[in-house]
Parts: sequence; C-alpha cells; structure tokens
Amino acid sequence: MIYIYLLLAEFFSLAAQEYIPPLPYGARILLLPLVFFYAALAVPPAGMLFLAFTAGFMWDALVATQRVDGNLEISLGWSIILYAALGAIMSGFRPLFQRGHGWEIHCLLSGPLLCVFVLSEYLMITFRRGGFYFPKLIWWRIGGEGLAAMIVSPFIFLLLHWVALSFGLIPPREEREAAQL
Amino acid sequence: MRQINAIAVAIFLVLVVVLFAFTPRNTQVMQARFLGLISPLLRNGSSLQKQIVGFREGMKKLNELDAENKQLRIELSELKATDQTLQGLAAENNQLRRALQYRERSTFKLIPARIIARDASTWWSTIKVDRGSNDGIVPDQPVLTEDGLVGKTTVVAGGISTVLLVCDENCGVAATVEGTLERGLVRGTRTSTAAEPDLTLNFLSKEANLKPGERVFSSGVGGVFPAGVLIGEVKKFRVEPLEGVASVVPAVDFSTIEDVFIVTGGAK
Repeated sequence: MIYIYLLLAEFFSLAAQEYIPPLPYGARILLLPLVFFYAALAVPPAGMLFLAFTAGFMWDALVATQRVDGNLEISLGWSIILYAALGAIMSGFRPLFQRGHGWEIHCLLSGPLLCVFVLSEYLMITFRRGGFYFPKLIWWRIGGEGLAAMIVSPFIFLLLHWVALSFGLIPPREEREAAQL
Repeated sequence: MRQINAIAVAIFLVLVVVLFAFTPRNTQVMQARFLGLISPLLRNGSSLQKQIVGFREGMKKLNELDAENKQLRIELSELKATDQTLQGLAAENNQLRRALQYRERSTFKLIPARIIARDASTWWSTIKVDRGSNDGIVPDQPVLTEDGLVGKTTVVAGGISTVLLVCDENCGVAATVEGTLERGLVRGTRTSTAAEPDLTLNFLSKEANLKPGERVFSSGVGGVFPAGVLIGEVKKFRVEPLEGVASVVPAVDFSTIEDVFIVTGGAK
C-alpha cells in the first residue's frame, strides 16, 4: 500500500507544481523531487529504485524530454538515473529516519540534492546545445531552487508522513526502532 | 548487498536500458499518452484556479460589468466587419494570383485554445493548452494571439497540447525587420523564461543598424510559422565580429496571456 500511496503522491505533486508560479529570475518550486526524497527515506532501497523509476519516467514524460527538430534534447531515461542516484544518497540516511530524525534529514538534504539534480539537467542541455554558458542567473536558479526546496520540504514531509502514519502505511517510530535493533 | 537489492538493481537497469532504446517517435507517442493521462488533473486544476480568480472578479460592481460588456460588443461588431472585409480581400487576392498563375496563398484556420498550465520546469519555456489531436492539432503548428507570435505545438494528446514558447532557446523563428531587407533568426537565450523573456535576432548584416522600436515579423521561411506574424520590436542593435545581433522585446506578454489561437491547416 505504501508504494501505491507514494506513487499517487508523485503523480499529484507533478500536476500540482504546474500551478506554482516561478520565483524571481525563473527559479521554481519543484514538488515531485521532494516527494521522491521522502519516499527514499520511507521505503527500503529496492522500493526506492521502483519509485525512482516512476518519478523519473513521469518527469521525463511531462517536463524534461523536449523534441527539437525531430530529435530529443535529453533521451528518455536520464532523469530516472538521476533520481536513482540521488535517492541512493537519501536512502543512506534511512537509519536516522527509522530512529525518528525524519524532517531534519529531509530538509537538510533536499536543498543540496535538488541543486545537483537541476545542475545535472543544465549540464545535459549545455552539452546538447553547445556553449559553456554559466552567468549568475543560472547559479541563482540552481541555488534558489535548492533554497526553496529546503523551505518547503518540512511541510511536504510532515503532510506525507502524517498521512502515512494515520493510515498505518508505515509503522510508528517505536516499531521502526525496534525492527532496526 | 542483500539478494533482493541486487535483483532490484538488475531489473531497474534493464528497464532503463529499454527506455534508452526508445526512438524519438516512440518517446513522443509515450509522452502524448502520459499527457493524456494527466490532462484531467491539469484541466480541473485550471478551472479551479479560474473559479478563484472569477470569484475575485465577481466582486466588481454591476455597472462596471455592464459598461465593459457594451464596449466588448462594439469591439466584436467591429472585428466581425473587419474579418468579413479581409476574407473578401483574401479571396480577391487568390483570384488575382490565380489569374497570374501564381500559387494560391493558403488560408489558415484558427482554433481558439485556453492555457491550462504554465511551464513548471527550470530550463524549458512551455505552456499547456486545452486543445489536442481531437481538435485536429498536430505537432509543429504555430500558436499566436492577436498581439503576435506565441510559439509552436510540440507534444499533442487527445484534448491537451504542449506549446514551446518563442522565448525558448529551442524555438527558432525565421524573421524579417519591417521596412528593411534584413533577415535573421529569432530565438530565446538560455536564461530566457516566460516571465522574463530574452529574445535575440541573429544573422543580420553588420550594416543593418536597426533602430529601437522597429518591428520584427516572421518571414515564413522554414515552413512552420506563417509569414507576417508580429514577433516583437527591436530593443537594441549591436555588431559582433561575424554578424549583427538585435535584442527583441516580444509582442506577447507570455506571463499574462490566457487564450491563444492554434493555426491549423492551410486548407483552401
């Protein structure tokens, strides 16, 4: 059930982020990566890979894969690799989540990981379009999105975690700690 | 590594390799299906957003609305009359071209569409509109408003399409400058967004010496965009080592437009 819940959360967050206006200078508040980072903490590594696949697939299908003169700018599948790599880092902190340090980990890591995600996308389009072009505005967008992610992440975490606990989709902290021991 | 993790990694890699093998055509079909799947959510989100805005606007006084309604009716009548005159002129023009044995100029059909979502990505400038293949839309059709050029369709699903905006670096438009013989290519810069568009007109001659305010129109070269659609106005002209380059202010405010027209066909 937790996987269906997280899959639906990914799907709805992707639609919801379409309605969030951009920050100054074009930085965005990206919800899907935040939902996925929560998923990477909440489920074991094998499940994280499944959710990385679905998140990356949805991201590529709706956002990242643009057709230019009959060719694709970024091939379908690159976002999946990115999500899996970042999810693996998040997953490494799962023992702390099991011990009850959830939202702090999510908040502290979401910013830097989202910056890496956005920077990787930019490097891919730079490679494709040519011209190594890094004005201040680009760094603001990358950093600004990371900062925005850190501000929004506690709300996303608490909402997702509260629903998951309320419906018994993940065990309470005491049981998770006991299972670790 | 636990066995289950090893199996998961293996399955994951196989699936990713399968996706990498997708051709651009297959990818586009898959994108269109996903867009179709998510479109009810986008449509409902958009109508909810409009209801909220509508509620705020509903607070306007009745007499203000009445005056606005009267004004709009007058404008509609004027536009209808102008349209009829232009249709007559187009028919006459085609008749004369036929008489001179020129190829007849295609008359385009405009399909009105409403924007239901704006771009949610950092590096691409796109919008989503509520018309798709059910309405006869296909990829690479021009999108415009009464003010000027907006972009072109890319991914098209049943009742929804993605439109790549002119301000995106990937959307190049062959252009001419009003009153000159200068021709070039208008495209957005990499940092350009719908809210803060940054267009340049490249490949001009170094002697072009364009003045601020000169209007830039599509030239029709390339086959996607029809000729004579306003793109914007020249803001600044500079000479670079190999070419003249002009900064262009787009005619359309991409962050506030709500309705657009999709140009279909070329049906006579």
